[in-house]
Amino acid sequence: MSEKFHTEMEVAKGKVLLMGHLAVGMLEDAVLALEENDPHRAEEVRKRKRDLSDQANALEEEMYRLIALYQPMAKDMRMIACSLRLISSAERIGRYGKDIANVVLATYSDQRFDDLVSALSLPHMASLVIGMINDSLEAYRNEDLTRVAHHSARDDTVDALRHTIFRDGITYMMEDPRTITRCTNYLMVARYLERCGDHACKIAEKVTYMVTGDQIEIR
Amino acid sequence: MVNLMSEQSIIRTSNLNLWYGEKTALKDISMEVPDRRVTALIGPSGCGKSTLIRCFNRMNDLVDICRITGRIDFHGNNIYAKESDPVEIRRKIGMVFQKPNPFPKSIYENVAYGPRIHGMNDKKRLDEIVEKSLRNAALWEEVKERLQDSAMGLSGGQQQRLCIARTLAVEPEVILMDEPCSALDPIATSKIETLINDLKKQYCVIIVTHNMQQAARVSDYTGFMYLGEMIECGTTTQIFEHPKEELTENYITGRFG
Repeated sequence: MSEKFHTEMEVAKGKVLLMGHLAVGMLEDAVLALEENDPHRAEEVRKRKRDLSDQANALEEEMYRLIALYQPMAKDMRMIACSLRLISSAERIGRYGKDIANVVLATYSDQRFDDLVSALSLPHMASLVIGMINDSLEAYRNEDLTRVAHHSARDDTVDALRHTIFRDGITYMMEDPRTITRCTNYLMVARYLERCGDHACKIAEKVTYMVTGDQIEIR
Repeated sequence: MVNLMSEQSIIRTSNLNLWYGEKTALKDISMEVPDRRVTALIGPSGCGKSTLIRCFNRMNDLVDICRITGRIDFHGNNIYAKESDPVEIRRKIGMVFQKPNPFPKSIYENVAYGPRIHGMNDKKRLDEIVEKSLRNAALWEEVKERLQDSAMGLSGGQQQRLCIARTLAVEPEVILMDEPCSALDPIATSKIETLINDLKKQYCVIIVTHNMQQAARVSDYTGFMYLGEMIECGTTTQIFEHPKEELTENYITGRFG
């Protein structure tokens, strides 16, 4: 019986990872659409949102089923607890991707100032955050905590970057009020990315709990 | 030495070893059992948990080839000392077995039997003891109209609660339960588990169980045994959420055993 459970758990874990990669893919493509001012790519990211929610719901249901049928304990229980948190963090990350795609759709038709994206370092910030999320997912996959060992410092960098972007954005808006629409939207993007970094840390915390049993806080 | 937090311990084993002939059944067990708590012993078949629980009231004395070293202190007195009286120990440390084993007598006589052999003959007092014991075993309401009926006519779950009442009648301090629910259906099991939870307000309960969910549900402390050794002992929450030993982890997650 326990062999059956462990097989099912491995399968479920694989699906959680796929969902995680779907979410991070949405974020990546949304940022790419933002850089390239590409409404088609943005529209395509929005369409993945339905699939993301469906997967999140099905996986949550699957975790409850495993609990109800097998009453897992110790490491098995911690793996399920971690997976449940990962599912909701991943869903949030994917939804931030969709939000960024919405920003692209709201701003692309006005061709002025589309170099503001890189001027504000949004792609750089996104690559830091996406790196953190990927490392958290990889730690979940192979239980290698060295992947998430520096998340605290990496998150500090991301937070600092958001403050820089905030100040830079205000400067641009003061210099030329015509940038206000884009800049306010981009400040929101910076906020979304910072939140995604927090979710990467949350996943790292729960993966640590899964592997060691210790509840830690990454701040 | 496993020290169970700051609890008041009632039983303490020190370097307890037990052999059946040449075969070692218990290896160097040192543990404390806290009073008014439920302590569960878990482990795969043959790990020594039943042997250990039977040591607590000297049930192994009845096995000829059994040899014991080390000590078990009950309130600080070694129960294996020469001057210890096994009958008195078994009165204070009662036991409930895997299969309900009521005497082929009436319900009343089953409960009154113990106090009687300990010299109680006052009819009125016996009535009180029988009622109190049956109430504490959560059986009174079901049998109060038919105390003179044969105990053999009760259901398995009722018989097991009768055995618990029979144990309570001699006013023990510790109740040992060796797989008390393994012969019962889920409803009867649930009643016994609720009862165990009530019993710990007045008694120290030690339970051996194969059912890990049951250990998790009913106990405050859990000891995991393997090949005659106490591998890990701690609060039930810690053992089932976050065991320290890999062997414990592997056992409770069903990776062996």
